[in-house]
Amino acid sequence: MSSSLRIAKQDMDQLVSALTSRYRLFGPVDVDGATVLREVKSADELALDAALDGPVKAAFFPQTEMLLSYDGTTSEPPPGRDKPTAVLGVRPCDARSLLLLDKVFGTGKYRDSLWQRRHDDSLIIGLGCGTPLETCFCNSMNLGPFDSQGSDIMLTDIGDAFLAESCTDKGERFLKAAYKSQVQRPSQADLDKAGQVRGKALESLAPAADFSGVKAALATLWDSALWDEVALGCLSCGACAYLCPTCHCFDVQDETAPGTRQGRRVRIWDTCQSALFTKEASGHNPRLSAKERIRQRVMHKFSYFVDNFGEAACVGCGRCIRMCPADFDVRLVLERVKAEERRTKNEERETTKGVRHAG
Amino acid sequence: MPDNLYVPIPVRVQSVRVESDDRTLRTFDLAFGDDTEPFEYLPGQFCQLSILGKGEAAFGIASSPTERESLRFTVNRVGTVTTALHYLKEGEELGLRGPLGNHYPVEKFKGQNVVLVGGGFAFTTLRSLAAYLLANRSDYGDITVIYGARRPGLLLYRDELAEWEKRGDIEVHLTIDQPAAGWDKAVGFVPTVTEKIRPSPKDAWAVVCGPPVMIKYTMPVLLDLGFAGDRIYTSLERRMKCGVGKCGRCNIGPRYVCTDGPVFSYAELASLPERF
Repeated sequence: MSSSLRIAKQDMDQLVSALTSRYRLFGPVDVDGATVLREVKSADELALDAALDGPVKAAFFPQTEMLLSYDGTTSEPPPGRDKPTAVLGVRPCDARSLLLLDKVFGTGKYRDSLWQRRHDDSLIIGLGCGTPLETCFCNSMNLGPFDSQGSDIMLTDIGDAFLAESCTDKGERFLKAAYKSQVQRPSQADLDKAGQVRGKALESLAPAADFSGVKAALATLWDSALWDEVALGCLSCGACAYLCPTCHCFDVQDETAPGTRQGRRVRIWDTCQSALFTKEASGHNPRLSAKERIRQRVMHKFSYFVDNFGEAACVGCGRCIRMCPADFDVRLVLERVKAEERRTKNEERETTKGVRHAG
Repeated sequence: MPDNLYVPIPVRVQSVRVESDDRTLRTFDLAFGDDTEPFEYLPGQFCQLSILGKGEAAFGIASSPTERESLRFTVNRVGTVTTALHYLKEGEELGLRGPLGNHYPVEKFKGQNVVLVGGGFAFTTLRSLAAYLLANRSDYGDITVIYGARRPGLLLYRDELAEWEKRGDIEVHLTIDQPAAGWDKAVGFVPTVTEKIRPSPKDAWAVVCGPPVMIKYTMPVLLDLGFAGDRIYTSLERRMKCGVGKCGRCNIGPRYVCTDGPVFSYAELASLPERF
């Protein structure tokens, strides 16, 4: 049973206070011109118009997170949390990324309790993308700007109000508890307006690319010169990994207060584009050059993740394109992967033909 | 494993000894703390040893689960964590996470011959395996050990190797890279010596552990002798942080060395890129 209601933008305080009374609330906030995810206490802090520059995963898998604290040789696990986590204004790409990350952290032989205790009882309030950016390609990754997967409640911006629709039982229960009888039902005009917003968004997206053959193509291109060329344009800065909503790699470091034996062991987002990422104590490094590292990044997202979890680790948010200082465009790399496979196949066909003629 | 995967359990150094003549290798026998339950493990598994304030590093377990009294690790001093480990004295405490990873398929080996081929200080989990096979001697056929190091003083567990040489139920072939005074055994690299010894592939399994270059050149020798790719096992090393398949750095293709390995058959590796 899903319900829909109209939330006037001037009444967002009511929603935010309902959220903050039950949850630790995160949302997009404008900080010096960048839209970043922050803990939010009141509605006037929210910047819901612009797409988040950083990934929503930070609410569940913080950039720096304490694994344990220590004093000498004794250690303590991190303190428990008080409230569950809610995030408001999550775009469909980010909402889906949480489902992908949950496969990494929340399934398999080892379950990551630090992730689970934030993620498993969280509330995700999605916000449809009325104005997708040029770098957005969610529609090429089996997703759309108003897709509700991963969201408990979905908001659509209809001008002076949001149309709010529950997508899960959890979302439904929250809306009921938060609004009780004072629900303002959307008018037919509101619903029509929402339909128009969605239609316009779909129209403004570039046509979906067909990346379905990418995994098979990658399997043939391990030694391809393509990687040398792609690596030439990469600074190995790793910005793409830090901004990526599905990148989950981390480093573990001990931080000890100077002059003491007290400190904390933390995990910190890391990037496979760094040469240190795989460098062993002996000096041996299985991924010595940028070529091997960029290949690892593409392979992990579009081949290995598919092997392990049945889908690609990319949601088409386009942050890695938008923010790359060297104009790396993963869409173009995937197109080149497909083209390179076709070219190699054709060459092989030509060679076979040649052999047959010669014979 | 505890609820929080990253919190080590306390263990204590029961004894420590210098393992190699250049003093870069030390062997630690560790005892579980008073409040910690000893865990079950099998040869080939590894643990993360942890010095709070310095960090963690992964080490293969060198003891056999049949040796109930302690856990053994041999540590090569190369970086921050291993240096801190080398400073540990008897009675001191450290952290441990494990057992992690898969193990040598000792069940499949039952009733069959096992050939262990080792090089340098990668002999740790092979020592675990050999001790396990010897402790369950009647379950297994012939056991052959081929083990080499650059020089005699770099062979691990020399006292124990000498004991094995005296036993009649395990065949031990030791080799060093260059002739040395007082050395009357084989001289030559492990792949070459293996080629000369010609262990029979009949009803046999091979387990190869060593530096990448040794593994690379030993594999073809074993294949030429007639060992099938799925009857040759090896254990791989990669830089690791979490040890539980989350931190993303020890992958070889789609497989993680920490959770899918560290033990892989040659047949499994043949389908993976960038394996050695």
